Amino acid sequence: MRHTHALFAVFGLALCAPQYGLAQPSPYAGKTITMVVGYKPGGGYDATARLLARHLPDHIPGKPTVIVQNMPGANSLIAANHVYGAAKPDGLTIGTFNRNLPIAQLTGVAGVKFDMTKFAWIGSASSESTILAIRTDLPYNSFEDMKKSGKEIVIGATGPGANTYDFPLLIKDLLGVKLKIVSGYSSSSDIMLAIERKEADGRAGSYSSILPFIDRKLVRPVIRARATEPGIEKLPVDEDLASTPRAKAIMALRSAPEVIGRPYVMPPGTPDAMVKAMREAFAKAIKDPKLIAEAKKAKMDLEFVPGDEALKVIKEVLTQPKDIVDEFSKYIKFGE
Amino acid sequence: MIDAFLDGLLLVLQWKALAFMLLGVGLGFWVGLLPGLGGATTLALMLPFIYTMQPVEAFAFLLGMHAVVATTGDITSVLFGVPGEATTAATILDGYAMTKKGEAGRALGAALGSSLVGALVGAFALALAIPIVRPLVLTFGSPELFMLAIVGLAFIASLSAQGGRGMLRGFLAGGLGLLFATVGQDPQAGVARFTLDTLYLWQGLELVPVLVGIFAIPEIIDLVVRGTSIAGDLPPGRLNKGAFEGLKDTFRHFGLTIRCSLIGTFIGIMPGLGGAVAQWMAYGHATQSARNAEERKGFGAGDVRGVLGPGAANNSKEGGSLIPTVAFGVPGSTSMAILLGGFVLLGLVPGPDMLTTHLTLTFSMVWTIVVANVITVAASFLFLNRLAKLTTVRGHMLIPVILVLVFVGSFTANNNYGDLVVTLVFGGIGYLMVVAGWPRAPFVLGLVLGKIAENYLYISVARYGAAWLSRPVVLVLLALALVVVVYPFIQSRRRGPGKGAHA
Repeated sequence: MRHTHALFAVFGLALCAPQYGLAQPSPYAGKTITMVVGYKPGGGYDATARLLARHLPDHIPGKPTVIVQNMPGANSLIAANHVYGAAKPDGLTIGTFNRNLPIAQLTGVAGVKFDMTKFAWIGSASSESTILAIRTDLPYNSFEDMKKSGKEIVIGATGPGANTYDFPLLIKDLLGVKLKIVSGYSSSSDIMLAIERKEADGRAGSYSSILPFIDRKLVRPVIRARATEPGIEKLPVDEDLASTPRAKAIMALRSAPEVIGRPYVMPPGTPDAMVKAMREAFAKAIKDPKLIAEAKKAKMDLEFVPGDEALKVIKEVLTQPKDIVDEFSKYIKFGE
Repeated sequence: MIDAFLDGLLLVLQWKALAFMLLGVGLGFWVGLLPGLGGATTLALMLPFIYTMQPVEAFAFLLGMHAVVATTGDITSVLFGVPGEATTAATILDGYAMTKKGEAGRALGAALGSSLVGALVGAFALALAIPIVRPLVLTFGSPELFMLAIVGLAFIASLSAQGGRGMLRGFLAGGLGLLFATVGQDPQAGVARFTLDTLYLWQGLELVPVLVGIFAIPEIIDLVVRGTSIAGDLPPGRLNKGAFEGLKDTFRHFGLTIRCSLIGTFIGIMPGLGGAVAQWMAYGHATQSARNAEERKGFGAGDVRGVLGPGAANNSKEGGSLIPTVAFGVPGSTSMAILLGGFVLLGLVPGPDMLTTHLTLTFSMVWTIVVANVITVAASFLFLNRLAKLTTVRGHMLIPVILVLVFVGSFTANNNYGDLVVTLVFGGIGYLMVVAGWPRAPFVLGLVLGKIAENYLYISVARYGAAWLSRPVVLVLLALALVVVVYPFIQSRRRGPGKGAHA
């Protein structure tokens, strides 16, 4: 009897086998996906990656494990080079890095060993809007007031290549506002303290990082770059105020990567099916109420920009005419 | 205010908060012991776990973990000469020297005792500073912070051997440190300086691999050459009595411990100076307590005061660095920047509100630091003497373990092979310095303060022209720097041989 049972069991398995075959176990089942972050733990890029790593497994067929690996250095050039050249295109590596890497490629920064257009693009997890904010106790209510007064306004900054420096630099040189940019502060929160003690009159930076201080009525936003978020739609946009097409083009070029503020890619040559699965997983995870609840607590606002749209932005940056690129390079250096 | 102070304690002692704190303390214990794995990184990794916690529980967990890292980091520094944390490197100078003399237990007792005192002083300074914290922090603008860095550099005079030759070597080593601090992309023009065409050096030299290399490698070589155990061939019986002796030392030199705690607290309060500075200034101050030339020579060769100073300061600075974080939402260190992320997750807005409506919560943070350190120090004492016995194990058996700790620890800085190269290069530099009799402390002080001094000088001049030189606090600090430089000379002139005129 027992033998018959065993026999039946074997037959049963054999019958079932083709069905299992049809169900196609996901290529991700039982696998571990590594998310390479180009920064140390603690910053915005890292926080976004960790949030996604917690929720992505629920939306990838086969429920793989997703781990975050920090690979800091050279404003994330090291991580980008790694994902481009060293990581296997087996669908198990995701890279996220500095949104300004296309600028680095465009201006021919030494050490760039990748072509941004050849990555397998998943997309971007959010956009980052840059604003300039000044102290509320200054007698200027708007950008117009500030410009008209003709008085010098001290802007604290971290250094060239950061939006705390580049954004006000273009406002100063291309829109003719009398700004004095003082750089060398160790972090954007360090600048905030300088503003508090009236050493600096204002600073530029991402809207999300300045928002707590706007809420506290320490500073007020006066101008923004192209990318927008609820709350700052009505601010004047730098490139709209440009008086020449050349100036407008330079400002537009600086702002372009902000739309893809948190870029996510896979190594070039990753199978299309896997890239597609990952794009879908990102799109679903970012809409997942559980993720949204966590993001809201951390004051993060994620919005998925799919890979093909991200690639369009990259191509827009990389196909600028040479004279604009040369002019642009005079102002902007690649940095954090 | 008193009510809030006591309520804060009660909040921390609730079973749930206490349980989370113990969990944090347990984690922080190991993070501190292991070199390289830093408090800041661990905080970032633990942040997601606080989503569902109440604020008091979350801070008990995070701060409890963070508060003990510097305490247990001292243990690694003392036992093996490997900095357990970037903030505990100064403890090596005398702590490891004591270990080599067979006084590991005493050195550990002193490190833990002073850590506890430091944590208490830091926490109570935080509590007392709450009413005056805003004006205090706002008085220190970039010119003042630059002058503070200069005061720090002036301590090179105390960290060098006495006499013209010693001073010359000390200041040259400090200058070399300043030079190494310039490596990386400069923040004014974005020029890459001394990066040797590598991407790795863009961000400058990472502190952990440099410290591990410069302190640990020479000691490992020394241990190999001697072929004995760390504590030489002393009879093991001598080791066991030490831990309580070290604790007593803390109270024997209580004034010094308190003063170094206050130095740590003050440096902690100043945002932008960074956690690695306080220990060196405290060590410099400790050497000033030498009463005669003989005693001064004993520093670096195993004077317990050289353990007490940095031991106290690297713990008291934690209380201090909470102040700008809580009061302004401006973090005083990387760890505090991550903690600030915790505030946001919990829906709290750091700023003036924390000193009024949320005062109880703020005080609960103070108490967390206190309670976490008391628990850690008490727990550590239980097996201190066992740990000390490790120093009687033959070197050949310990070295592989220490080497693994050293290289894995360095590698965690950036997960880059460059970290290992930096460790080896600075290991070589450190070894040469030891062999040639050049002091390593001034070098590290220069390295740690270089970037700070450069940036704040640039900001001061760019913002105020020459007018910053006439700011009152700048002048006071300048005078203080001069006193610190001249002090060793006054000291050597005033002291008669063997007489202790001022204790």
